[in-house]
Amino acid sequence: MTQTSTKTIYSVRPCTFVYIVLIALTVVTWLIGKAGLAGLDIALTVLGFAMIKGLLIGDYYMGLRNVKSIWRWVIIIWLVVPGALITWAFVISS
Amino acid sequence: MVKNLNRPELNKPAIPGPQLASNQGGPHIETGRDALQVPLPPAERKYPPGDLALWVFILAELLVFAVFFSAYAFTRASHVELFNTYQATLDTNSAVINTLALITSSYFVMRSVAAIREDKSQQCFHWLLAALAMGFLFLVVKSSEYVHHYDAGINLRTNLFYMFYLSLTFFHFMHVIMGMVILAAVAIKAKKGGYSANDYTGVESGASYWHMVDIVWLILFPLVYIMH
Repeated sequence: MTQTSTKTIYSVRPCTFVYIVLIALTVVTWLIGKAGLAGLDIALTVLGFAMIKGLLIGDYYMGLRNVKSIWRWVIIIWLVVPGALITWAFVISS
Repeated sequence: MVKNLNRPELNKPAIPGPQLASNQGGPHIETGRDALQVPLPPAERKYPPGDLALWVFILAELLVFAVFFSAYAFTRASHVELFNTYQATLDTNSAVINTLALITSSYFVMRSVAAIREDKSQQCFHWLLAALAMGFLFLVVKSSEYVHHYDAGINLRTNLFYMFYLSLTFFHFMHVIMGMVILAAVAIKAKKGGYSANDYTGVESGASYWHMVDIVWLILFPLVYIMH
């Protein structure tokens, strides 16, 4: 009698996992706003969350993680450059 | 035979139906009603998904928003008190609902692309409809915010903060409408069976534009509503 190895997969698609992370970071950001937390460190943490979310959308939803050229960096550069300028503006105003 | 450099999988003979991990050998994989099928990883590409011309357009849009965001941040640096005072009048509940709506719509759009890659045209159509519903929710919530501001006598001339807030969010609002028009056109074509596993550049193009609209909001939300 031949035995067959049978395996059932109850996996979550990576994009679904990314979706859960995006929702979680959004809710945390909102709670920070509701709590009225302020200051440079809080502002930059919230900005960091936004940049992570943008990176996840670019990589997993736009599919840029599979692109092997300068196009791979389009969203990353777009997040980093304005992110750096916003950081600079908040640092000089704090 | 003319080779497609962006999608090398098109240069191979067409295989009917989705490619599943169970086709790869190894242990037999049972895919029951609740079990998820595991698609093969997408091939590496030289160019981003969708029409390259649209990506040039997306880059131009992103550049405009980057300038807008930087202008907001540096103007705020000179008027911190004013910006903090009037930022506190904004409704963060509406903003978070809109953020969740756009993230969810992006997820649905991504699923529509996954569906058409598996040659499931009707499934693609249904995911796009769900994404459009989320886009509509965004428009309703944002419109109600605008009505509230209008009733309170707030406009572009009220002060510097509201000038930035209204122009930034309305500029983005117009992009949401544009994205919904594109998604609706893609959905109609998908409904008619206009896309297949061998021809879905249109779906990817629409999806890329919509994700751009989502990414812009993901920065706009904390910058205008939360950070102070």
